[in-house]
Amino acid sequence: MDYIDYYKILDLKKSASIDDIKKAYRKLARKYHPDLNPNNDEANKKFQQINEANEVLSDPEKRKKYDKYGKDWQHADQLDAQQKQQRQYQSQGGGYGGGGYSGGFGGDDFSDFFSSMFGGGAGRSSRQSPFKGQDYNADLQLNLKDAYTTQKQTLTVNGKQVRITIPAGVENGQKIKLSGYGAPGANNGQPGDLYIKFNISEDPKFKRKGNDIYIQEEIDLYTAVLGGEKIVETLNGKVKLKIPEGTQPDSTLRLKGKGFPVYKKADQFGDLYIKWQVKLPTNLNQEQKELFEKLSKS
Amino acid sequence: MMRNNLIALHDICVYHHVEIDFIQSLEDFGLIKTTTQKQLTFLSLDELMKLERYVRLAKDLDINLEGLHAISQLLNQVETMQNEINTLKAELNHYKQFN
Repeated sequence: MDYIDYYKILDLKKSASIDDIKKAYRKLARKYHPDLNPNNDEANKKFQQINEANEVLSDPEKRKKYDKYGKDWQHADQLDAQQKQQRQYQSQGGGYGGGGYSGGFGGDDFSDFFSSMFGGGAGRSSRQSPFKGQDYNADLQLNLKDAYTTQKQTLTVNGKQVRITIPAGVENGQKIKLSGYGAPGANNGQPGDLYIKFNISEDPKFKRKGNDIYIQEEIDLYTAVLGGEKIVETLNGKVKLKIPEGTQPDSTLRLKGKGFPVYKKADQFGDLYIKWQVKLPTNLNQEQKELFEKLSKS
Repeated sequence: MMRNNLIALHDICVYHHVEIDFIQSLEDFGLIKTTTQKQLTFLSLDELMKLERYVRLAKDLDINLEGLHAISQLLNQVETMQNEINTLKAELNHYKQFN
């Protein structure tokens, strides 16, 4: 087993800074990377050497050890003791190792020199950068009346209880993001986020368009012709309305501020539009028919 | 999860320590092609090989998506030229044998 001069491989002086090492590694890696040199065994070999040199020199602890014992590694008794400890650590599952690419190359193929100095599977530590956990998506079903008021709900996501507040006026299909409630990250990476999508079911009576609500109400012919009063149910309770005489079928009345609450804007509401359906009398008796005939001739 | 030589994207992300956004961006750039079946997204083995190449290049050399796109096109050109060289070499050898 020969001593390997990692500084020479990266074309660096012993006094090279971390920055110098990084630059030298990047420069050579770009040149010899196996993906950029397909079917080139020489480049592949060279890349492994560069990788190995970078693995040692870019890690302050490994570099210190290498600088201290590098040339005399065969006689370094202290080194053996350290190695023994490290092997024990790795056998307990603490080592790096594993997780290689299926592409058939990579940092795992280190030299015997490296293995004897730093342990068998060591390496790749610098590659395992933290990454964010996966985001979760969940759907939440609400009816229109639920969406009219601010709701507090408790959800169970992956065994965790999540208490959420759904502001009044939430839209159908709207998503909210709960940061950090996704899958846990790896290598100390941040957890993912939880996205909740609201599905608001349609109401048979109240039709929502933005913040406005549309309903249809029936009035009889006599109220439409002569005027009167009608109690109408809104999302906010019942209201008594005056029907002016001569109200036409399909005419619309607007009640300002009686519509849907505006999302995250307290005390702001859309309007309520009421379309009058005039119900004509049926099954008239003889007397009623005569009265209508008189009316039509008057 | 594996279905007819298709590997679930989620498994790939966990195994290779890459975010799903990265794979989606590669697809947006036309560098890989995913397959969706029953609302799950998969990669074929061929596409996985490509993805692994891009992951290595991105991680080892800090290459961004535009760079990966350029590299991909250049590697394809190199491969085509290499094939042409091999064919021409074979033809030349054949010619030399008979002259």
